[in-house]
Amino acid sequence: MTNHHCTIFFLPGLGFGSASAVPLAAALGDRFRVVGIDLPGHGPAPDAVNGSVAALADAALKTIEAEADGGPWLLAAHSMGGKVAALVAARVLSGHETVFGLAGAVFLAPSPPTPEPMDDDKRALMLSGVENGPLSEVDAREFVAQNVATSLVAAAEQDAVAQVRQMSPLAWQRWLSEGSRENVSAAVGVIDLPVVVMAGEDDDDLGASVQPRLLGAVYPRARFVSLPATGHLLHYERAREVAAEIARFWESTASASPQVNSEWGRVIASNRTGVEARALLVRRAIADDVNYTPRALSPGQLATLRALADRLVPQSQSQSQSQLETQARRIDLAARIDADLASGRGDGWRPSELPDDASAYRLGLDAIASVWPDGVALQDALIRRIIGGGFITGAPWGGDLFRRWFEDVRNDLTRTWLAHPASLARIGYDGFATSGPGAEPAGYVSLGAGVRDPWEPADLGTLASDHANQADESDESDESDDPGTTTNTGQAGKQSAA
Amino acid sequence: MNLNDMRTYAQDDVVDVVVVGTGAGGAPLLARLAEHGLRVVALEAGPNFDPDNFTNDEVEAPRINWISERLSGGDAPIAFGPNNSGWGIGGGTLHWGAFTPRPDIRDLHLLTESGVGADWPVDHAELTRYIVDVERFIGVSGPTPYPWDPERQYLEPPVDRNAPADIMAIGCARLGIQASDAPAAILSRDRDQPHHGRRLASQNLGTIHQGERYGTKATTAITYLPSAVATGAEIRPDSMVHGIERDALGRISAVVYRQNGQERRQRCATLVLAGGGIETPRLLLNTGLANSSGLVGRNFLAHGAVQVWGRFDEQIRGYRGYPSALISEDFVRPDGVDFVGGYLLQSLGVMPLAYATSLVRGTGLWGNELIDALDAWRYTAGIGINGECLPAENNKLVLADEVDEWGIPRAVITFTAGPNEQAINEHATATMTRILEAAGARETRVLARTAHTLGTCRMSADPDNGVVDADGRSHDIPNLWISDNSTFPSALSANPGLTQMALSLRTADRMMR
Repeated sequence: MTNHHCTIFFLPGLGFGSASAVPLAAALGDRFRVVGIDLPGHGPAPDAVNGSVAALADAALKTIEAEADGGPWLLAAHSMGGKVAALVAARVLSGHETVFGLAGAVFLAPSPPTPEPMDDDKRALMLSGVENGPLSEVDAREFVAQNVATSLVAAAEQDAVAQVRQMSPLAWQRWLSEGSRENVSAAVGVIDLPVVVMAGEDDDDLGASVQPRLLGAVYPRARFVSLPATGHLLHYERAREVAAEIARFWESTASASPQVNSEWGRVIASNRTGVEARALLVRRAIADDVNYTPRALSPGQLATLRALADRLVPQSQSQSQSQLETQARRIDLAARIDADLASGRGDGWRPSELPDDASAYRLGLDAIASVWPDGVALQDALIRRIIGGGFITGAPWGGDLFRRWFEDVRNDLTRTWLAHPASLARIGYDGFATSGPGAEPAGYVSLGAGVRDPWEPADLGTLASDHANQADESDESDESDDPGTTTNTGQAGKQSAA
Repeated sequence: MNLNDMRTYAQDDVVDVVVVGTGAGGAPLLARLAEHGLRVVALEAGPNFDPDNFTNDEVEAPRINWISERLSGGDAPIAFGPNNSGWGIGGGTLHWGAFTPRPDIRDLHLLTESGVGADWPVDHAELTRYIVDVERFIGVSGPTPYPWDPERQYLEPPVDRNAPADIMAIGCARLGIQASDAPAAILSRDRDQPHHGRRLASQNLGTIHQGERYGTKATTAITYLPSAVATGAEIRPDSMVHGIERDALGRISAVVYRQNGQERRQRCATLVLAGGGIETPRLLLNTGLANSSGLVGRNFLAHGAVQVWGRFDEQIRGYRGYPSALISEDFVRPDGVDFVGGYLLQSLGVMPLAYATSLVRGTGLWGNELIDALDAWRYTAGIGINGECLPAENNKLVLADEVDEWGIPRAVITFTAGPNEQAINEHATATMTRILEAAGARETRVLARTAHTLGTCRMSADPDNGVVDADGRSHDIPNLWISDNSTFPSALSANPGLTQMALSLRTADRMMR
């Protein structure tokens, strides 16, 4: 097991194989495990069953499912790979793929989900290059040369040309005549994920100037980075800059959510977990948007709720944090509650004297803001006073009703924190991994104290042996009828020792 | 459930019976009436779920719960939603705990026995015959012999005990308290359910309150309702009743409802309300019907459901297995107490978000102490009660000024536990604490809770003293009946689901007399 913090699955552009991830991997260093993917017809990979983008996504997902380790991962994708990655991300977020840990996506001069902007003459010219078989050395060299702002160093150029020549002519034809022209927007939808899009300023069709228009609506959280004096082959032309941007993106944005340890990640990913449950956990694991704009609350009310969240449901204790980077990993509980309030989702009741949830939050948070002191000791004293039903100056409701509203706030914050997969793993709940298509039986076999089933994470107990299982089934009533033979700890000890 | 080939009725067709609600009150009656050739239509406010769309995720699972807000007041405001209110074809049985003790005969005669509370105008032996019918039809597992009722037989053996059940068994044994595997509407063997199909034996899922997709837990959607449809009933989902029409003689002639944004009206010869302890009185108050007694919405009852949780050294992880696998009926009439009625004990495992909510609402915990308590959850085993609740005038449901998404005034429910409820809670808390400590708990924590929504249209022999008679027929309007737990005169120490299904069959038979 390596000590990487994050896996990067790299989906190359047209003509390039997994080897095109090598310069980036070298520049990224040991923190990142880079897995280059040979899309169909590229590198040694056979052609796809058809020319659709979905067929390329199927192949990419197969590799990702095989190589994912349960820990966090990023999608990185160049050009054609960007369109494929959009579908991959959508499918992963839908819960239909048996993977977990998608933390963000990095796009290099990506092809958009809409038909790729490409001049008809250029398309015809490119297609003509493979009429009689694989691209010639000259054409491949020309293809690489046209896609860079300044010439690559000889070794890099030779590597790129070799990859392009290895590509199957069918894959080239299919992408140009089918895949690049396909509109997969409906299948992709809106991808709510940390995203950085890098593109060169000297890239003719997919350069920095067009990317925000092409992708802004698809990736609402995207940050767009333009690289001067750079063409289309960013990862060859600017490997160090691209790697630095990826590292920055990981540290500042994509890794900001509490980490789910990889053993638990593999259980979520497994087909014991149902599609919907997986989708929910996959999405909740994603870092919150640092630029979140509140929809139900004002920015000031959101800030007050964040301050309350820090005290009421502190995240400083996170057990998984110490072994990783020093950066605080946290859930923006306040933002998640704001989103819930805006959606109108309720829990079926409210105290009869309070207004609707969103209105109550606005009034209550404004009242707290007006008396919120500096310093945690005073803040905690205020919280204790509210929970005790004490008088709060300027409160919209009397002490007991204010306490009840505050109880709703505490409950919402706690549940929001607990619904995150890292929290569920922390408290030892794996019940999400029941009822999936691969769960047989759907539930549990070992029910006793201290024991677990083989599929469960190791920290949940010791494996119940056959003997212990038998004891579970046949000896129980005897034990309970005859307390003299068994103590509580003794019973569990017997099972775990067996 | 499959409604594709069901018989349908025209709206201007005067059907024999319209039933509002498809849970434990509406469904058995619907099936029995249809079986006897009556032309029946059920209107269900919620959707028709495909069991594959149930999710074990606690945030999303309340799609099977009534989420349109109820307003709660009083000293012990009732938590609605996932706690006690169903939504969809199957009603509350979609989310119920399937814990199926039978009602104790002493609880039906509480007033006679103690001078307080109410008597049920229902014969216990007759009710028990219906209960046996229900148990066999829906599939109730349990121990034979049953310690507190030697004559009782369960056709299926009990489901597996989980760690909290083991803990409670140990504690009870050490204290000389009798405890037993619990009766539950959870199959311990596969079975073929008529007109539904294969139902699988328990796979020890702990997520039954979130909806159960293997047919292991009995819901009306996989038992009575398929039978009803097979014999000619029509079930209309997404149909929220908000009006009741009457003829010149004051008899019910039609119901008015909204389905998919359209106003609809179904003519009928008889109307049965089976929307439960909140929706039935809300509809009656909103229409102003059947309330000559002034008791519609009065005497709201909620079972005491206090829990005690003990912390142990081993990981308990009570979210595995049937959550309430052990029962004790030793405290239905405890000795030497100054309260009337009593309570049942059940072992408890609980899902994490439900536990978190109980912690937050039931204790003042916050900050690091709260996180510590959540970290300790996996080491905790619980015991809870279902405790008698006496009718009280000030515990009531009234209409709010505010309207819901259908334009109907919301319900405001006021509930305050009286001295008897408090005394039961205290006694039960002490009992459960002793059991957990005897089993080796390092520390215990008490979490307050109530369960179920009962009593708001209670049955009575005397028309001045209730909304419906002993059969469930309105004292005021002869072709209006109520078949849901709003008719409970007192709460009983038994959980209400099984009793309600039995009463539903009984009301159906009385309607056909």
